[in-house]
Amino acid sequence: MTSNDVIALDGVSKTYKFGKIRVRALEDVTLTIGRGDFIAIAGPSGSGKTTLLNLIGCIDKPDAGRIVIDDVDVTRTPLHRLSTLRLNTLGFIFQTFNLIPVLSAYENVEYPLILQNVSPRQRDARVRRWLDEVGLADQWKQRPDQLSGGQRQRVAIARAMVTEPKLVLADEPTANLDSETATRILDLLAEINSRTGCTFVFSTHDASLIARAQQIVRIKDGHIHDVDAARAA
Amino acid sequence: MLIKLAFRNVLRNGRRSAITLTVIVFGAVGLILFGGYKARTFWGLRESTIRGRIGHLQVYKEGYSKAQSQKPMEYALDDAASIRKQIERDPRVKMTAAQITLMGLVSNGEKSETFIATAVEPPKDRAMNNQKITAGDDLPDNESDAVMIGKGLAESLHVKPGDYLTIMTTTVAGSLNAMDVRVAGIFTIGVKEYDDRAIKMPIAGAQTLLQTKKVEKLLVFLNNTDDTSAVHQTINRNVHGIEIKEWSELAPFYHQVVALYNGIFGFLGIVVFAIVVFSVANTILMSVFERTREIGTLMAIGTTRGRLRTMFVAEGVSIGVIGGVLGLTIGALLAFAINKGNVMLPPPPGYTTGYRLQIMLQPAVLITAFLVSFVTATISSIVPALKASRMKIVDALGHI
Repeated sequence: MTSNDVIALDGVSKTYKFGKIRVRALEDVTLTIGRGDFIAIAGPSGSGKTTLLNLIGCIDKPDAGRIVIDDVDVTRTPLHRLSTLRLNTLGFIFQTFNLIPVLSAYENVEYPLILQNVSPRQRDARVRRWLDEVGLADQWKQRPDQLSGGQRQRVAIARAMVTEPKLVLADEPTANLDSETATRILDLLAEINSRTGCTFVFSTHDASLIARAQQIVRIKDGHIHDVDAARAA
Repeated sequence: MLIKLAFRNVLRNGRRSAITLTVIVFGAVGLILFGGYKARTFWGLRESTIRGRIGHLQVYKEGYSKAQSQKPMEYALDDAASIRKQIERDPRVKMTAAQITLMGLVSNGEKSETFIATAVEPPKDRAMNNQKITAGDDLPDNESDAVMIGKGLAESLHVKPGDYLTIMTTTVAGSLNAMDVRVAGIFTIGVKEYDDRAIKMPIAGAQTLLQTKKVEKLLVFLNNTDDTSAVHQTINRNVHGIEIKEWSELAPFYHQVVALYNGIFGFLGIVVFAIVVFSVANTILMSVFERTREIGTLMAIGTTRGRLRTMFVAEGVSIGVIGGVLGLTIGALLAFAINKGNVMLPPPPGYTTGYRLQIMLQPAVLITAFLVSFVTATISSIVPALKASRMKIVDALGHI
């Protein structure tokens, strides 16, 4: 791992148990991802894309191997520190948007800043800025059920970006959107990536999304099949 | 944000929260009404016992307690007048009343019955207002051979006001003595066993019959029951050669009723506690199951497990606060309506007259009802909160 890398996986394996059946989701995965990259993890359903994102996102632990995120060995970090790491270093965008339904667009974006103990004035400035960036300045009062799918995903992007993370993980971010909205969301993600230098890693099997990635990590049966640039270790 | 989230999540499933709140409100209202009824009953029983029968304090000659069962008049007060003068100097004392208790036989010439007589000072006895006259008049002030007779005893002896009876008892010297008395009136205190044996007579008549100038005891009545112990100490300091008992020592029935009602109230509290715990726990648990993905999201974006626990406990607190406030309001309004409604209850066991249902809204009752609602709702949210905070993020998000 070099100082220019934000993620490094070394010999990472993960197996799930379903009763007596063991399913190997990832096996001996080694990969590095550089700062500012815009990377697609591509592969068919069940290939291990989501497992890989979960492990990078510190919401699951590997059975073997080592994962380093922004110079922190997360495989040796206690659980309570991982929530701080997720809050300050990572941003999440989910396929099903996963907004808090009882909070408005503004409050959803504000929530992580409250966890970070950001002052009310700074919170307000940052929330308004990011709602403006994603084009929802006028919809700040609306609750998720009053927004379209594309608007909800924009709120989710604002929520992921408002903490100024080093890495944003997006699991099938356009899977629940029509193609036109998906393209706009993709444009937005690419634009944020180029402007902020934040690393984006997204899982997808959508060809149009794969085509927009700077690098593509192809994954199959829990193994990295190929990486289109020479970044695999 | 935590409070806002908690309140909004409580309102999220309106119907379910409404059912839970209804349970809490019913519990709180039940506690307020029964607690208020209990408080009013205790207060009423205490004051009627004190002001109608036993006084706040009873003053006897020293040694009376030990000898009481054998020869009470041997330990009677020989200088009651000077003792009462000293006691009545205290502005907290409303009045004192001399009394003698005696037992014997009463006869109408054809039939005899045993009696228990209370010899009183007629004006003081009228002030105590402790009986209902069903026929005839109260005891006259200056007629030492007039008596009032209990309703049951009057029926047994077939007497009416104006009739004459003979009463017979043992004098302080131990010999038998009898006197003819005129029935001035017939009375009841509402307790059948007492009405079947009771006679009231002027203290002067009793002294003639017992051949003594002494009185058995002095009843001391205060303006305020709360001053009982303080006045007790003052009398003890100022008057010598006496012994004093407070009303609390002389009212075993009052203490039995208090113990019984407290037992019932405690049981009711446990039932309400259990119902509220299960109801609120059920509501929040269902909410946890429904919001599994949301819980996963909150943890994924950096919410600590501790904060998540607090969030769900805050929902329990919110339900408790809303339910408690609604319960207090509705309970107080119902109590007000009942007190205005003049609802009559049937006579309790051993009594012959019913009484008016009244609810006393004491701060202690209202605070207890609110705390039971609030604390139980909070406690019931702990298990669901732990369940939520122990979820594996990856499972909660539904991503495998």
